[in-house]
Amino acid sequence: MEKTLKQGTDFFKPRRFLLLLRRDFSNGYRSVLIAMAAVSGFIILFSALSALQGRNDEFYTAIFAQLLFIGGYIVSSLAFKELHQPGRSYFYCTLPGSLVEKFSSKLLVTSLGYALGTLIFCTIVGAASEGINRLIFGRGHYFFNPLDMNILLMIAVYLVTQSVFLTGSVYFRKVAFLKTTLIVNGAAIAFGLIIALIFYLIFREHIHPGGLEPWIESIFNERGYTGQIEAELGNFVSPFLSLIKILFWYVLAPVCWLISYFRLSETEV
Amino acid sequence: MIDIQDLYFGYKREGLFSSLDLKLLPGSIYGLLGKNGAGKTTLLKLISGLRFARAGQCSVFGYVSKERPAGLLEEIYFIPEEFFLPPISQPLYEQLYAPFYPRFNATAFRSYLTEFDLKRGKKLSELSYGQKKKYLLAFGLATGCRLLLLDEPTNGLDIPAKSQFRKLLARAITEEQIILISTHQVRDMENLIDPVIILDEGQIIFQQSMNEVTRRLTVQLEQDRPDDDSVIYLDETLGGYMVVRENRGSGETRIDLETLFNSVIGNREKIETIFSSQPLESEV
Repeated sequence: MEKTLKQGTDFFKPRRFLLLLRRDFSNGYRSVLIAMAAVSGFIILFSALSALQGRNDEFYTAIFAQLLFIGGYIVSSLAFKELHQPGRSYFYCTLPGSLVEKFSSKLLVTSLGYALGTLIFCTIVGAASEGINRLIFGRGHYFFNPLDMNILLMIAVYLVTQSVFLTGSVYFRKVAFLKTTLIVNGAAIAFGLIIALIFYLIFREHIHPGGLEPWIESIFNERGYTGQIEAELGNFVSPFLSLIKILFWYVLAPVCWLISYFRLSETEV
Repeated sequence: MIDIQDLYFGYKREGLFSSLDLKLLPGSIYGLLGKNGAGKTTLLKLISGLRFARAGQCSVFGYVSKERPAGLLEEIYFIPEEFFLPPISQPLYEQLYAPFYPRFNATAFRSYLTEFDLKRGKKLSELSYGQKKKYLLAFGLATGCRLLLLDEPTNGLDIPAKSQFRKLLARAITEEQIILISTHQVRDMENLIDPVIILDEGQIIFQQSMNEVTRRLTVQLEQDRPDDDSVIYLDETLGGYMVVRENRGSGETRIDLETLFNSVIGNREKIETIFSSQPLESEV
């Protein structure tokens, strides 16, 4: 009788998952250390230079955002690089581990692992940098607060959006980051055009050189809603915004994970 | 056990295997021979789940190979012709990858490295191609995997290492293991591979034990060029002609792999007739 993936411990075994995790960390740690050293120097230097010009409350938040999003997307795009390299792909594909273990290990390293690593890195480098600024110039920026709500929100947004780049990493053989960025931008433009087209088809009779405002105002005036146009428009749009929020927070990442998982299972070497 | 039934496979529009059947049992070192492009490497990839058949079935130890389940991958060690070793130290490699294989034998691994004359201190990236190959072979043998797939394993090995490789493999194989070696270097595999599988034009055209081969075929050095119908294959050599004929009870002679391969490829129909005939009188 044929055995299948879901039998026994073949589907997910914590020991194997930890081994894969250790391997993934171990493979990337040198590049990460080099990148960290370079970025540390950059942060300390620019923090000192900008401190001379005056206090900037957003300095470390801006640095963190760039490291998290740009760096994280690049790291996520490289996650399955070995899958597309002729010499390495067989090695990865025959490494004992189920698809779930292999995928979740890459996911954990590039999502939560990278976000937490960046958070810790920025906190330490920020503290060191501010110590130097205060010691040399007697002034500096605010200290980086890793528990700030804006920072935590950025991490949440990253955890969702990086799934797109992880999918790109599974799909694209070369320059996955650029190709994924291109597709995301293309999709955004296409989405915008579709919305504009729908808007035009619905409201085309009312579009004239004066714009839509006189027409909207006339409607609200007729109905006695004078002075509350913006609030009413907000009510009209809010269901769509809620839908977009639900799609973003709860649907986007799982869909990307599923696509990546199935693509991974179909990969031939 | 490896069980391939009615398998179809091709690259893009070109078909490679059609209705391929193959059964390999544990306890043997199988030699997979074939001309360039016959599909030897592809067959190894299909068995290890790196390629998917268009139709048919390929199962290894009861697992469907294309699903690449972890339980199966723990039992397979594949060393391709163009391999990869990460640029890390030897102890770190062992530390990272050995735990993936439940029956990995660290003591055996060290002894294999010693036999291959490999120093453990060197980084993997500092090793030569041949040394890297030796390292992988030693690691593969130490994993205790039930299926060892080796694609051109002696390419890049020096002369002493080839001999070491044969000795190690012959010594390391257990009753539960299948070793499948795809190679062009048939002389390196002499006295090691048994049974022999010959692949040609997408078909297994020959799969016999060497014992059966010596019983069915005979090879003789003849001074004059023979022209009778009993000749299956002949090769001009120093001092005459190496002639392969059907063994009709004239005693057993040892046929080398190269001659066997050329005989099968050169006179496929006759070979098929000889090997599909009734058992020899001596066997009855």
